[in-house]
Amino acid sequence: MIGAPILRAVLSKPSGAIGVTLVVGHVMLAVLSPLVLPHDPIAQSADLILQMPSLSYPFGTDRLGRDILSRVMLGGRAAMLIATLATLVAMVWGTVVGLLLALIGGRIDTYMMRIVDALSSIPGILIVMIFVAALGVGAAALIPILGYSYGLSVVYIARAAALDFVARDFVLAAQARGEARSTILIREILPNVRDTLAVQGAMQWSWLMLGITSLSFLGLGVAPPTPDWGLMIADARGVMPTAPWAVLWPMAMLSTLIVGVNLAADAFAKALGVDQQLRTVAA
Amino acid sequence: MGMSRHVLCLAAALAVGLLTPASAEKVFRQANDLSFGGAESLDPLSSNRFIEVVALIYSRLMREGESGEASPELATSWTANAEATEWTLTLQPGVKFHDGSDFDAADVAYSLSRIEDPALESPVASVLGIIDRVEVVDPLTVKIILEAPHAGLPLLLLDYRVRMIPDGSGPTINENPVGTGPFRVEKVDAEGTTTLVANDGYWEGRPKLDKIQFTAIPDAEARNQAMLAGQLDYNLLTAEQAPLYANNPAFQVQSFPGGQWVGAVFRTNAEPFTDPRVRRALRIAVDRNAMLTLLEGTDGGAVGCDTPVKVSDPYRANLECPQDIEGAKALLAEAGYPDGIDIELFTSDVSPGMVRFAEVYQAQVAPAGIRVKVNLAPSDGYWDDVWLKEPAFVTAWDGRPADQFLNEIFRTGAGNNESFYSDPAFDALLDKARSTVDVEAARALYVQAQQMQFDDGGTSIPFLKNSRRVLNGKVTGILPKPEEFIRWHLVDLTE
Repeated sequence: MIGAPILRAVLSKPSGAIGVTLVVGHVMLAVLSPLVLPHDPIAQSADLILQMPSLSYPFGTDRLGRDILSRVMLGGRAAMLIATLATLVAMVWGTVVGLLLALIGGRIDTYMMRIVDALSSIPGILIVMIFVAALGVGAAALIPILGYSYGLSVVYIARAAALDFVARDFVLAAQARGEARSTILIREILPNVRDTLAVQGAMQWSWLMLGITSLSFLGLGVAPPTPDWGLMIADARGVMPTAPWAVLWPMAMLSTLIVGVNLAADAFAKALGVDQQLRTVAA
Repeated sequence: MGMSRHVLCLAAALAVGLLTPASAEKVFRQANDLSFGGAESLDPLSSNRFIEVVALIYSRLMREGESGEASPELATSWTANAEATEWTLTLQPGVKFHDGSDFDAADVAYSLSRIEDPALESPVASVLGIIDRVEVVDPLTVKIILEAPHAGLPLLLLDYRVRMIPDGSGPTINENPVGTGPFRVEKVDAEGTTTLVANDGYWEGRPKLDKIQFTAIPDAEARNQAMLAGQLDYNLLTAEQAPLYANNPAFQVQSFPGGQWVGAVFRTNAEPFTDPRVRRALRIAVDRNAMLTLLEGTDGGAVGCDTPVKVSDPYRANLECPQDIEGAKALLAEAGYPDGIDIELFTSDVSPGMVRFAEVYQAQVAPAGIRVKVNLAPSDGYWDDVWLKEPAFVTAWDGRPADQFLNEIFRTGAGNNESFYSDPAFDALLDKARSTVDVEAARALYVQAQQMQFDDGGTSIPFLKNSRRVLNGKVTGILPKPEEFIRWHLVDLTE
């Protein structure tokens, strides 16, 4: 899908290289960390409360005497998994609806898009919070709710990207051949908007990471004792003046991941030549 | 000549006056956390009472003694009849209100009878609703007649809101606050600065301070910063903030036993907690000392055996209850859970430390085969939707006198009986304690009631928190004890 020339183009730019390095580093850490943990991430110790960074605890310890290094190594895993699954949900339904509306056009397209406009006017995090607060659902149930809420913006991107192609000759020819809509979508339009959607998917993923971490920060996401960056920040913010390291490390981990994904997605968008298209849609 | 000498004297006097600063006014600066958003009331019985100010301008009949017992304030002595249904109080003579009028028995009768005024909807009514009527015997003697026997009436009168105001002044007390306390109101501006001045005629002697100011600072961190910047003389502290002031001579940090606690409630009417063996296992598997250190630090509080009664309370039961993993396992096996038990514990960050309490509990009881799933509920609506509703949840309380606490949260059918505990023998014990006039005999009964809770209750209360405060280094006369123990007329600022 992504050929060597594209990858070379991405890595040749400093921002692209940094972004890809950060993302690959984070993914490797998330996958491999259980094998190399220096300490038990949930073992509490009254003797080790809020220890400064030291040789045996390089990132220090938290309010319950737990090793912060071990906790930040694991702290992104739950959110990354939820973000990945929710991104899939968002991309699938957003793409299907967006492409269909572009192809159908006319009044149905106009009316449906106004409904999407109305739904988009409600901030995504608010919708998720209402669901979570009302239903008291766990982390697993977040996936469809987040997928729905973040998928709304995918509808715009997919529809706008597809509109470029629906009036082109090859689509008209396929219609003239009497091919089914689903066939036209999958065989004629989707291959042309694939790159745009892939980049959009990466951006969606980083927003979802932020969203899920915010929910955990608010106590609506991942539940203890699972180490989680959002929970760690929420718990340590009260001791920021006296033990800044406790809040600093999870923040650094989250920021490097989000910045990395955005840099990498930007670089890929440029290399694939879809950056202009994404910008037009966003504006 | 004579005139020039006068001029000279005047000039000298002026020079001296200019060079040596006039003895500076001693102004004690506190923050008002604006918990009622500007609707603070100076009516002590209002649910919006501006308590910091109310406590300085009005006096109580009794105040806390050294070991928490009732000791004289405006009442100098008291006796009960044999059934503890009629209490006769003798009042301090020569006490005057801020407006110069005399304080006497009619004021007491009025202030106490107001508690049950339905129009006021005072929260104190639930504490002192047992008062049937108050009779004036003579100007310095009142008789309180109760609806039911209560040997602990003096302890109930310690309530921080039961304060004496002039006869008939209730409707205007918020606008014209007149009391017998060490300070009187100069200016009230809850959202700005409220100023109190010394009551020169205070019956225990003129206060050493000239003024006390309360500046509205709603944000806890902003109060902390104001304290650090030297703009306040007094502030409450959390365990995390205490290190900011340690080893700094400009400040004094005090830590003292308080009444606040965070606990886990296992509803005695919900499976699997209907079995007292399960409830006991869930409570004895806790390592109380380790939990206290983890959550509040060293010097952070006092461990106890699931009793909500303050350390300073004369009726507290001091039992021993070390962590007992094997005992918990055995109880669970006996109750039909030989392979351990799965429970779901709801919590929320609605009150400080509630989430970490659940995390520590989860880790501590795991070796006993108790697998806790912590469910983080939204803080918005926690007290409406989770508390009292879910089978197991984390709770948080402020301190109350023993009799009030035990009746409020453990008596059959009580509105705040969060564990739905119900045992007629327990209720009878509390009734008997209430009608026992002898303090030692009453103590034995209250201790027995707390022992019953430890044996088969549904509430885990591993420790009571210490309270912490920081004072400017110049402050004297404030002992490391809760606010209600501070004798404000003795507080001073020294160089």
